Amino acid sequence: MSAVAHAPEFSLPSVGGDAVRLADLHADGPALLLFVSEECPTCVLTLRRLAPVVSGASAGGMRVAAVFEDPLEVAARVARRTGFDGIVLSEPAPYDVSRAYSLASLPTAVLIDRDGREVDRVVGWDAAGMRTLLSMPVTDEPPLRKPGCAAKNTYDPEELRLLDGGGFDEAEEMFERGWTDGLPVVAPTPERVDAMLAGRDRSALLGEMAPAMARVTLERVAACAVLAGCRPEYFPVVVAAVEAVLEPAFNVGGQAVTTQPCGQVLVINGPVRDAIGLNGSVGALGPGWRANMTIGRAVRLVISLTGGGFPGRLDRSTLGNPGKVAMCFAEDEDVSPWDPLHCERGFAADASVVTAIGADAPLSISDHRSTGPEELAHVLGWAAATTWSPNWWPLGGVSLFVICPEHARSFAEWGWSKERVREEMFSAVVRTAGSLRWGETTPFVGGAADDQPVRKWDSPDDIMIVVAGGEAGRYSAVFGPCLGMNTEPISKEVQWTT
Amino acid sequence: MDYVSPFDERSRITEPLAPRPPDLTGARVALLDITKRRGDEFLDRVEELLVSRGAVTFRVVKEIFSKPASPEIVRQIANRGDLAVEGLAD
Repeated sequence: MSAVAHAPEFSLPSVGGDAVRLADLHADGPALLLFVSEECPTCVLTLRRLAPVVSGASAGGMRVAAVFEDPLEVAARVARRTGFDGIVLSEPAPYDVSRAYSLASLPTAVLIDRDGREVDRVVGWDAAGMRTLLSMPVTDEPPLRKPGCAAKNTYDPEELRLLDGGGFDEAEEMFERGWTDGLPVVAPTPERVDAMLAGRDRSALLGEMAPAMARVTLERVAACAVLAGCRPEYFPVVVAAVEAVLEPAFNVGGQAVTTQPCGQVLVINGPVRDAIGLNGSVGALGPGWRANMTIGRAVRLVISLTGGGFPGRLDRSTLGNPGKVAMCFAEDEDVSPWDPLHCERGFAADASVVTAIGADAPLSISDHRSTGPEELAHVLGWAAATTWSPNWWPLGGVSLFVICPEHARSFAEWGWSKERVREEMFSAVVRTAGSLRWGETTPFVGGAADDQPVRKWDSPDDIMIVVAGGEAGRYSAVFGPCLGMNTEPISKEVQWTT
Repeated sequence: MDYVSPFDERSRITEPLAPRPPDLTGARVALLDITKRRGDEFLDRVEELLVSRGAVTFRVVKEIFSKPASPEIVRQIANRGDLAVEGLAD
């Protein structure tokens, strides 16, 4: 118990967003400061035990603030886990506030009166002492007293260096924090995030992302890029992709939380592909290439961590799909006989462009036997006829086809342009409304005459075609659609230099 | 160990539930139709039950179920209602 003294003033960042001063806390009544740290079991016990009485104390006019000797996000996590819903503040190293309060150990509870004077303090967990400080009942569950741990301001820097890393597993720490998609990640240390940012303005705001309505800053995107395993030279592509998914017309918030399986497919065009090693050739839709895997993963981490669409929480996807880990590939413009996707969408051939498309998993289409362009276009088109649901016609969304080089070359040898292929697929895939009235079908089919022809797509423009894949093998693919979201494919130019 | 958080911590604060009303007599209840298929049927039934308990209801309709409600819709609910019921999914 200490003598009456004016408590040292401070201003510390809060989980609520704004900095909080001591003067704010005791402006209308007494304040209780709970100095704590994540690493101290007695601090966690204290927060748990006081959690049920915080609202009562607030109602009685006392403000209760936990001051963590930890970073803000650690403070927020511990407060959430312990159910502590008072004010949560974070004190950065070198812990000058703790030193000003002459803290030797944590937890230490300091009672401040409305004039800003320290009137009492309790060190460690002490149920009786805490009852006196709060003037209200506190649990008498054992232990009634428990000593705490050394406050961080007392740590000797030399000892810290010796201890640093002892028994600490960074990969496990990331899992513990939930900074993962279920696979190991690279820890976003300040040094790695700085390297990713490469001098860019870390506070630059790209937009707000639903469902969390989180502010997506360049720093948070960089943290996700580090977590995903990106090299710094991939970052401009990640940023362009995040800008694309943040466009309102993409409706990333709807995609992030839907029961549908859809993920976000990223198609990359232009010179940046070769510059950073993005694969559009053999195995383009699968694993094996760092740029493909980590750029796709970084964007998914922005959506699931920063944006709040984490699987099983606000992401309610019934089954999900493997493409929700990462789905990013390059178009193989060198082997394609046609204009690449970004040129079709109005960009210059030498621009580097990311196109984001809301889509389900890819379905492989084998055809080693077609002897003419109509035949092959029909096989490709009809493969997409069952996507979403066999009787859901017209689709009311975009189908992304990935045509393999051998199929593309055949079309070119037969003299077919991409537009011709698209139009043939569009006109070939047609059925009568009567044959589609089974199970789930569209309102359009429901209201049509039995013999009315219905096409799978509203227009040839709903058929997107890119060329990718290995030189051998006649396997193309079509991605399932993402429907009901009013989502549109969005393209963004990558701002980068060699 | 310090790391750079991918989260916007402000967005992770759990808002406390508003106090529950003691009864519904005279309460103005917004029924938010998110335009999900058959959601209106669900709200029709909820409306019957609310009105039978003395509540006064009004409907608000979202543009599309898969996008967050516009600030205008949220304002309407806040200005005109004491309570809100949202019909989710089909």
